[in-house]
Amino acid sequence: MIKLVNITKRYRTSAGVNTVLNNVNLTFPVGKSVGILGLNGAGKSTLIRIIGDAEPPDTGFVVSKGRVSWPLGYTGGFQTNLTARENARFVARIYGESTEYVEAFTQEFSELDEYFDEPLRSYSAGMRARFAFSVSLACNFEYYLVDEALETGDARYREKFRLAFEERRAHASVILVSHNEQTIRRNCDMAAILHDGNLTLYDDLKEALQFYSFLQTRAA
Amino acid sequence: MQETSASYAPKLTLASIVDALNTQSRVIGALVLRETKTRYGEHKLGFLWAVLEPIMMVSIFVALFSALRSDNPSGMPLVTFMLTGIVPFTLFRSTMQQMQGAISSNKQLFAFPQVTTFDVIIARGILEVLILAGVFAFLILMVDISLVEVRIESPLGVLAGCCLLAMMGLGMGFAFASISPLMPSIRQVSSALLGRPLFLSSGLFFTVGSVPQPFREYMLYNPITHVLECLRSSFFYEFESPYGDWGYATIWAVTMLAAGLLIHQAMRRRAIVGL
Repeated sequence: MIKLVNITKRYRTSAGVNTVLNNVNLTFPVGKSVGILGLNGAGKSTLIRIIGDAEPPDTGFVVSKGRVSWPLGYTGGFQTNLTARENARFVARIYGESTEYVEAFTQEFSELDEYFDEPLRSYSAGMRARFAFSVSLACNFEYYLVDEALETGDARYREKFRLAFEERRAHASVILVSHNEQTIRRNCDMAAILHDGNLTLYDDLKEALQFYSFLQTRAA
Repeated sequence: MQETSASYAPKLTLASIVDALNTQSRVIGALVLRETKTRYGEHKLGFLWAVLEPIMMVSIFVALFSALRSDNPSGMPLVTFMLTGIVPFTLFRSTMQQMQGAISSNKQLFAFPQVTTFDVIIARGILEVLILAGVFAFLILMVDISLVEVRIESPLGVLAGCCLLAMMGLGMGFAFASISPLMPSIRQVSSALLGRPLFLSSGLFFTVGSVPQPFREYMLYNPITHVLECLRSSFFYEFESPYGDWGYATIWAVTMLAAGLLIHQAMRRRAIVGL
């Protein structure tokens, strides 16, 4: 279970104070994959970083039971002048997993082949994401936090990930943020919308998507 | 099953403390390995350079000082005299300088909740101290084998001196590392205002006794001078300094370390946001 309690986050900009999250309260249901939709700049990445305890909120706190992944995405978490192998071993060590297993699983699953022993700086965005997802799958989390799903990369590979997550459905859930409603429709059971600092969870995916398309047209 | 809660103090139980300490030592260990790889992994000569740099420094100053004066009034062999000044001082300066960039160059790692600013800073400090301690021991051994016989009067005193300098370096390192993300210009302070002037004035190349008054008095405000005097008194049978004060040096070292940790504690949240 992950529970957000009274979370507020503000950023100071030259134009004034921007309240990204305004007293947000939400409980993520167990065993459901939740998508969080928000327009560009709504604070989606901030939210997922707060859920993952990578950034402190100004007020409030997050209660989480179970192993939560770091926010997965194209960047973050990895030192680009180290190879995928070295980064995988590092992740295994800090999560207290077997380095051999994580290394072997990641190498096999990421299909990076000869690039596995090249520094991450030589990778494309898609390859980095493939690496990040593979390492996280090796670690067996109960919550996977995803900051923008794997949109690049070929269809076959996307399918491979979808199946891997599908397999883990019984004991793992995904919290995915995106501005893309297609992504949410494909990967999630329910959706929440982040707008004007408020986070609203909809039990019905359709309803959420409808409201989101209304927001989009209004913004345009 | 692991229970974590963010930004909210969990109930302190013995199990949760043990668990947290376990995680932290795992993280610091992983970070030290990672720092070793990023610093020395890319070039095969990396570790060699760690040894070569002090060798070059010592050689240059030995050559310079043996050219300047032919007699050796202190009675200490010039090579070991320089060695016991330069390498311990590096333990202070290099530790401080290696640590100061820790937060900004590891900022991607804060995506992992268990990696804290304390961990990335201390990892660099630990690595630097371990390397320099190894280099010091290695060079003493090399000098003993190839140049002059080395008999250390009190190894424990030498170790204590090294510890004090490392503590001072760690304290300054914590302070600079926590401030530099918000104020990058602070790095110039550490190298231009602290590193070089202290290098020249802390008595690496001369003993306090050989300095005329009133400069001797000024020198004795510097805690590093005290450590070097004490360290050399412990190292050499033929040298006993009336000036070096262990107590004064220890008070400074403890204060610097405590101040560094307090500054880190006060700045760490802002230091991450400042990235």
